[in-house]
Amino acid sequence: MLKAKTMSRLLIAASKDKLDLVVHELYRHNIFHIEDFVENEDEGYEGFKIGMPLSGASEISSDLIKIRSIGSTFGVSKDASEPDKKSSSVQIAQRIEHELPEIEKEVLELLGEKNAIAARVREYEQRLSEVSLFASLPGDLSLYRDYDQCTVFSGHIPADVDLPVPNEKVFSGTISGNLIVAVVAQENADEAERFLMDAGFQSVAVPREDGTAEERVNWYTQEITRLNSEMGQVDERINAQKEKHAAFLVACDELLTAEVEKAEAPLRFATTEETFVAEGWVPSDKMESLIADIRSATGGKVFVTEIEIDFEKDSVPVEYDNPDLLHPTELLLDVYSRPKYTEIDPTLFMSILFPIFFGLILGDVGYGIILLAMSFGLRKFLTGDAGGQLLNTLRNASISSIIFGLLYSEFLGFALPWDPLLFSRHLNIGGHAGGHGPAVVELMVLSAWIGIFHITLGRILGIINHSRQDHGAHRQKAILGNLGWLLTMWGILVIIWSMAAIPLMPDFSGMAPVLAGLNMAGIVGGVIVLAGIVGIGQENALELLEIPTIVSHVLSYARILAVGLSSVAIAMVINYISIGLFIEPAMENLDIVSIIIIIFGIVVFILGHLFNTALGLLGGGLHSIRLHYVEFFTKFYRGGGKKYNPFGMKRKFTED
Amino acid sequence: MVAETIMTVEVAEASAAGMKAIGAGLAVGLTGIATGIAEMAIGPAAVGATAENKDIFGLVLLLTVIPETIVIFGLVVALLMIF
Repeated sequence: MLKAKTMSRLLIAASKDKLDLVVHELYRHNIFHIEDFVENEDEGYEGFKIGMPLSGASEISSDLIKIRSIGSTFGVSKDASEPDKKSSSVQIAQRIEHELPEIEKEVLELLGEKNAIAARVREYEQRLSEVSLFASLPGDLSLYRDYDQCTVFSGHIPADVDLPVPNEKVFSGTISGNLIVAVVAQENADEAERFLMDAGFQSVAVPREDGTAEERVNWYTQEITRLNSEMGQVDERINAQKEKHAAFLVACDELLTAEVEKAEAPLRFATTEETFVAEGWVPSDKMESLIADIRSATGGKVFVTEIEIDFEKDSVPVEYDNPDLLHPTELLLDVYSRPKYTEIDPTLFMSILFPIFFGLILGDVGYGIILLAMSFGLRKFLTGDAGGQLLNTLRNASISSIIFGLLYSEFLGFALPWDPLLFSRHLNIGGHAGGHGPAVVELMVLSAWIGIFHITLGRILGIINHSRQDHGAHRQKAILGNLGWLLTMWGILVIIWSMAAIPLMPDFSGMAPVLAGLNMAGIVGGVIVLAGIVGIGQENALELLEIPTIVSHVLSYARILAVGLSSVAIAMVINYISIGLFIEPAMENLDIVSIIIIIFGIVVFILGHLFNTALGLLGGGLHSIRLHYVEFFTKFYRGGGKKYNPFGMKRKFTED
Repeated sequence: MVAETIMTVEVAEASAAGMKAIGAGLAVGLTGIATGIAEMAIGPAAVGATAENKDIFGLVLLLTVIPETIVIFGLVVALLMIF
């Protein structure tokens, strides 16, 4: 908690004949974050070259490509499938050798068949569309071609025409673009063509088919139906193959992906003719066992040592070190930026405060229950780590929403049968709510208090971060600067308290004025502000321009009240429209019309509350996150840490 | 008969309440427009940036909602006026 997992930097050196053993051992442990070697003649690495892949890498890669292409034919994907049981990798390797060529042949055959059928269907569809144009033509289609003495004109024309030369003509106006087929003597062909062109004629050749057009249309239609059913059979066979081989294929994919990653690992190591050097990061608590295993795997013929971390130069990969309960919130942090290794990890604060902010904004039992149901219902669709984290965050937020809903006494905008235990947010819409109306001022002050404490916490964390990360004069300046910001904020508060009485806040306004209208508290506040300004200014004079942000950042927390109240208002308006305006008046005398009105009212009620749930999720979620990212994190958080990405794989489908 | 407008206390109170409501409406409405104008430029840029690189979705979503502060201040002012 509050700190990233402690990492140690390891250096592994051995002769090249131990390379595959070391790589295998590192991959099996899945904890070694490889620091990629770059050939730029770093001190101590002169003459080293990037390594070559292990032997057999290209064969494995080509096998993997085969498997992936088969997988994509079948529509099998590693991420979408869940393993029934793990297969042994030795067995899989044997099956790859014996069965893969067979499966590949089958798949290629099936694909070939499918493609051939698809090509024929396409061809027939093309022919069918050509022939059906001439469906109204009498007689055999072969009679419309290959004359020596006559020319056949066929095609579209805007309107029927009478040719100025002797001719035989068929015209059909029933198809789009009309159809004209005219036969004229050879010697009149030019004149007829000119005339037709002037009339807007577009030539379409009569298809070279035998039999009447109608017969051909029927034949092609039948053939296409038959081919489509054949295609269905092939698809069924492909599906059967998929059922049979899916488990094997995903296991192969996993095994070979692992093999390829292992084979290509030396590309990230530094090597000489006979030796290699691998550098990387390991969580300190697991380092000893990794070293011991590498030593025993290579028979002790390896040099492994921990090297000192140089925080100026090294960027240490960051792995969160939080209990499972805080795990979901890490997602919200990753969206912003992963903390640096030396920085405070604010996951703890965020996982407590984010749900509270969300609940304060969307404090409604009804919406809370809907969102809670959603967070469980969506689990089928949102798989994977990030999806789970997101849904767990939603779950926590909606539980908090239910709790605050009980405190606010709200259920879908209605009041629960008790008075609000916290401040009331019931508005007087449609004359439904009684009581005192919303406690806007109190809620606003509460929001401001939350802001003040949140920002104070941020600044304190900032002081801790600077005292950890910085050195010398800069460290002192940065700490004093943060202290200055804190003093300025609290000083301004004291001055405000000395001037006006605000509910739920200390009131110093009763004191007698001492100097220039300020009373004692006001003067003390002024001194604190001045001290704060000096603190800010000594760090960076330009930051003095930012002082107004103190006020705007605290006021920004008013969104907790504002967004929440607007969500309550929308809920109450929906209730008033659907129940007050539609359902209640219609209930008074029931007939067909009023039943329709009641149904309409129910639809308005459901749609309206769905809309408001979405709005509440978006408003409550985004604004709570924003308060953290913008108002909280800017006080202390830098981020930009490198993600810890160990060399290895969590195996889902295979095991040794 | 000449109809004279007489300003009774009730009329004055109702008028003041009405003015308050109009003021509150203006506070929310105008700041809402301002927020819209501000987000108008950020939104397309955010969508464009997300199309280039999906990883920054979270960040651009955040950038897009930053101008919402304006309308929130408007809403706060309106609430303080009414209550």
